[in-house]
Amino acid sequence: MHLLRYTLDEAAMSLWRGRRSSLLSTATIAIALFVTGAFLVVTSNLERLAQEWSGAAEMSVYLADQVTGTDRASIERTLRAAPVVLDVQFVSKEQALGRFRQTFPDLAGTLGSLDENPLPASLEVRLQSSADAQQGIDALVSSVRTMSGVSDVRYDKEWLDRLLRGLRVLRVVGFSLAGALILAAALTIGNVVRLALNARHDEIEIMHLVGAPTTYVRGPFVMEGALHGGLGALVALVALAATYALLRTPFLVPLASALNLSTVRFLPAPVALSLLAGGLGVGALAGVIASRRA
Amino acid sequence: MIEAYHLSKVYSRGVYALRDLTLKIEKGEFLFLTGPSGAGKSTLLRLLLCAETPSEGQLKVGGRVLTDLSTSEMQAYRRTVGFVFQDFRLIPRFTVFQNVAFVMRVLGVDVPTQQRKTYQVLKWVGLQHRMNAYPEELSGGEQQRVAIARALVNDPHLILADEPTGNLDPDLALDIMNLFRDINARGTTVLVATHDREMIRRVGRKALTLEHGRLAGGA
Ligand SMILES: Nc1ncnc2c1ncn2[C@@H]1O[C@H](COP(=O)(O)OP(=O)(O)OP(=O)(O)O)[C@@H](O)[C@H]1O
Ligand SMILES: [Mg+2]
Repeated sequence: MHLLRYTLDEAAMSLWRGRRSSLLSTATIAIALFVTGAFLVVTSNLERLAQEWSGAAEMSVYLADQVTGTDRASIERTLRAAPVVLDVQFVSKEQALGRFRQTFPDLAGTLGSLDENPLPASLEVRLQSSADAQQGIDALVSSVRTMSGVSDVRYDKEWLDRLLRGLRVLRVVGFSLAGALILAAALTIGNVVRLALNARHDEIEIMHLVGAPTTYVRGPFVMEGALHGGLGALVALVALAATYALLRTPFLVPLASALNLSTVRFLPAPVALSLLAGGLGVGALAGVIASRRA
Repeated sequence: MIEAYHLSKVYSRGVYALRDLTLKIEKGEFLFLTGPSGAGKSTLLRLLLCAETPSEGQLKVGGRVLTDLSTSEMQAYRRTVGFVFQDFRLIPRFTVFQNVAFVMRVLGVDVPTQQRKTYQVLKWVGLQHRMNAYPEELSGGEQQRVAIARALVNDPHLILADEPTGNLDPDLALDIMNLFRDINARGTTVLVATHDREMIRRVGRKALTLEHGRLAGGA
């Protein structure tokens, strides 16, 4: 217990004495963890998006404005006859406009000033989401697409596949970048700790000569590394939360609803805490390696 | 307490600092170690602190062979030894108080006890009023007395002092020797390296004389 007290006291003092170089290493770990955190926010929200999309396998059949009653009836009949279809619901042009106004209150004004409602009517089709249904769905999509009165067919599964592919790429890119940045940050912390160690070479020798246990000699340096890392993580989390708060209302929420995502979320507490722990851990590890010959 | 058998120390350039030294120092003794410069006095003390390893022979303290100690045993052993370095070895960024209290701090001694004992030993060496000064603000003699206070503060079983009065005036030197004598009277073994034959005579204790790394016979 007093080892912890001792190493904390000593490390805090050393950190304060070397605050110039500490600033550098704290900044590097903060940047590294900020990037990591940003990727985590984006990917975790996209993961939820993928989940929501796959839970509600939906197909939208957009109708041409000049569709005839017979065309519409025959499209509906075809859809209802398909075994993979669970339910079909008609959304009129007016209903589509109403929904749009709700989602984008800011943009509604510009739409209202148009003489004509630009949004198409559509048939919203709920589909079976089982794997067996896939073939039937693909056949249905291509046959409905060619029917007269249909202007476009949007099937979420195609988007889902693209989303999942994009997500995989994003993960690989994001985490390689984050990994490289964290490595660079660890090296910076290691160097700062080593500098502090070299500056106190005589003192370390004296500590050894008066019989200080190894943990007391090296502990402050490990702790110093951990403090660098922890401080950097804290800075990164605060910056991330601030950025998120700034972007949320004007940008993220409309984006989410445009994508049919129920809500955007910040990092869940356990993930934020792991980032903090990661910062502490990387810093401590850098300290251990830098002071291993002390 | 201290037993050396055919102890030799050869530094890298083939210099014999100690050559085939055999001696025995009883527990509770107060002994001077003297001899010309370069005779090997500091070397013997450094071997006793495990700051050097013997090239040949064996060195035992309290019945234990020093080279057989594990790292943590060696550290624990060092904490029972009060060592006064010829070049003081104070930590520059610590105050006088922090330098003296350091070992107690590392041992987890509670702060009131640290303060009490540190104040006491600083008073013994006449430096209680410089408690918050940094080493660089002190004269050579004052730094030497801080080094002495640090060696005494943890109630050591063994005091090894390398020229502890080299920077002190004769009166202060004698005060310090009397201090060592008092501590010795309470059972602590004391070994003091010095060239100062006049002081040895005044203190009136046994002296071992080293010459070229060998024992030249007791005085
Ligand atoms: N680290 C070292 N490397 C090489 N030779 C050394 C080293 N330390 C001491 N010596 C040599 O060993 C011999 C004994 O040195 P030591 O310091 O033990 O003498 P001393 O009796 O303490 O002398 P002094 O009275 O001047 O302090 C000397 O010849 C010295 O040059
Ligand atoms: Mg010497």
